[in-house]
Amino acid sequence: MNVLNIALFEMKRDLRDRRTLLFMLAFPIVLILILGTALTNAFHTGIEVGEMKLLVNNTARSEQLQSYWNGFAHTIGKEGVELTPAASGIDGKKAVADNQFTAYAEIDDNGIRFYGSSRDTIASNIIQGMLTSFADKYNLAAAAVRNNPEAAHAIIAGSTSAGSFVQESSLDPDRKPSSIDYYAIAESTMIAFYACMSASWLIRGEVKRKTAIRLAAAPVGKMEIFAGKVIASTIINFLCILAVVLFSKYAFNANWGDHLGSVFLLLFTEVLLAVSFGLGIAFLFKDDAVNAVMMIFVQVASMIGGAYFPVDEASGFFGAIANISPLRWANEALMNLIYNNDLYAVFPVIGLNTAIAAAFLAFVAIAMRKREAF
Amino acid sequence: MNVLEIRNLTKTFGDFIAVDNMNLSVREGEIFGFLGANGAGKSTTINMISSLLRITKGEVRLLGKDIVKENKFAKMNIGIVPQDLAIYEEMTAYENVSFFAGLYGLRGSLLKERTEEALEFVGLGDKHKALPKSFSGGMKRRLNIACAIAHRPKLIIMDEPTVGIDPQSRNYILNSVKKLNQMGCSVIYTSHYMEEVEEICTRIAIVDHGKIIAEGTKEQLKSIITDTKETWIGVKNAERLDLDALKGIPGVNAVRMEEQSVKIISRGEINNLNWVIQQLIRDQVEISSVEEQAPNLETVFLTLTGRNLRD
Repeated sequence: MNVLNIALFEMKRDLRDRRTLLFMLAFPIVLILILGTALTNAFHTGIEVGEMKLLVNNTARSEQLQSYWNGFAHTIGKEGVELTPAASGIDGKKAVADNQFTAYAEIDDNGIRFYGSSRDTIASNIIQGMLTSFADKYNLAAAAVRNNPEAAHAIIAGSTSAGSFVQESSLDPDRKPSSIDYYAIAESTMIAFYACMSASWLIRGEVKRKTAIRLAAAPVGKMEIFAGKVIASTIINFLCILAVVLFSKYAFNANWGDHLGSVFLLLFTEVLLAVSFGLGIAFLFKDDAVNAVMMIFVQVASMIGGAYFPVDEASGFFGAIANISPLRWANEALMNLIYNNDLYAVFPVIGLNTAIAAAFLAFVAIAMRKREAF
Repeated sequence: MNVLEIRNLTKTFGDFIAVDNMNLSVREGEIFGFLGANGAGKSTTINMISSLLRITKGEVRLLGKDIVKENKFAKMNIGIVPQDLAIYEEMTAYENVSFFAGLYGLRGSLLKERTEEALEFVGLGDKHKALPKSFSGGMKRRLNIACAIAHRPKLIIMDEPTVGIDPQSRNYILNSVKKLNQMGCSVIYTSHYMEEVEEICTRIAIVDHGKIIAEGTKEQLKSIITDTKETWIGVKNAERLDLDALKGIPGVNAVRMEEQSVKIISRGEINNLNWVIQQLIRDQVEISSVEEQAPNLETVFLTLTGRNLRD
């Protein structure tokens, strides 16, 4: 009962602390908005394709091939490929090398020879893909003519419909984080870790405020006070994170995936880790040093954890440092959960967070018991 | 019956002995003055009684029960008014009192009743919804008291409850202490204001270097120094005064400078006023007044400890 009373009182006090509350709510939301907007281009995966100019030297005599080619040329013309018949005597390969054309194709009854530009490889590859597709379909139609002329007609007719020569394909085209998506995750995990700052004051604050004297003189155990405070701090900080996640989801349309329960469970354990870490640091260091140590650790962990810019696979010293950031574990696990649907990615992080939190809490509990008063 | 009994109480911090084999008892219904200069050991003693510090050696019994073995019982029956304000500024007066009273097991309507009663008692009944940050120093001190009495303790320990407040609030608090005592509470009262102790305490103990050096009623304490006299000499240019030379005059026990006056405590049977005045003339100090006073508690304290209470 005392634990509950202490926890409720602590939560009430936290809710009255408007400055901290505002910071915990507004800071991540503003960061999501600013970084998410400012760094949109850094997360844009589209590629601009330049002009696609195809120089064609068509010497084929087959009527069937000519007819099919004309249909193909018309179709890819509508897709943005500019076809130019090669004038006699022109050196197509040189024209491509001189960057006058994206690609050069020689067509005769034996097949198609293709020369692409090495300067504009993307446009060149697209044209090559189209020609490969044309060749495959023509070969198919030519084979069908021998056995089933009607089917051959259908193949040719179908092949000339717009867009059938180039198809966009991707493993999971919709599941790529936009900048807002990324920063919604990164800032939420960052602010979850900021809980360590307020947690470092849970016991220290009572000593500074002198209310520790009353608490110590009251018939309640130190462990009851400790438990009440940890519970309150974890709940209040988690509620702030919950608000940030839901706000980013509905106000910014940030993608939090289909497993919100797992997302919240991971964030909850991260808050628990932060609270226990804050308490632990407050017991490990002297009063003046606590704030400095905490601020340095939080900022470094945020930076290398990807709170301000995405941190890709790092190696060497930076990689080793980056791997000790709880924010990095959380961010990677959430990315895997949301974008690869990997439900099992979060469990090792949940386990690690809980284990470290338990270790810090045990340390603080023992240290408190040993201390006279607080 | 004794509310509190302290036997051979000792507290050490490393090699430093803060409380040295102290023996003391507080009777039921008493307002017990506990006097000592800073560092004398009184706060350490109070902290051990309130279970804030562990006892190195000895025993403290509250209402006959050992406070270490019966710790919860002891805590339930002690109310502590710390020297520093121990309140939550961001919580209302009601919430402050209610929270601390709740730690003593009060719940529901009883908690509400006792909280309101405590706030009424200290004159903050109409301020129960107000935040302490809007309070004057005196009001905060009164709230500090309310937080200690809502659970109706048998023994209240007040550690300088009137520090830094206006005379009106001080009177209010002193009257509150008397009222609490009339209601059956025993009180241990420490203060740097000797006149407060003289006014309200029924018995007084003087502690110095961790030991009780005198104990009794104020009359009993004053009787210790019946052979002393206290002379006040008003001076204008006090900076010229050679205090060591004054202390060297035969019969002088202690010399104290207080603003524009010198207080000289001497043995009663020796008439040394002429020598004192000659010394002041030698020092070229301008004398404005000479007055002999009957010894008071301050004199007793100074004589016994060689220090002022406010040192």
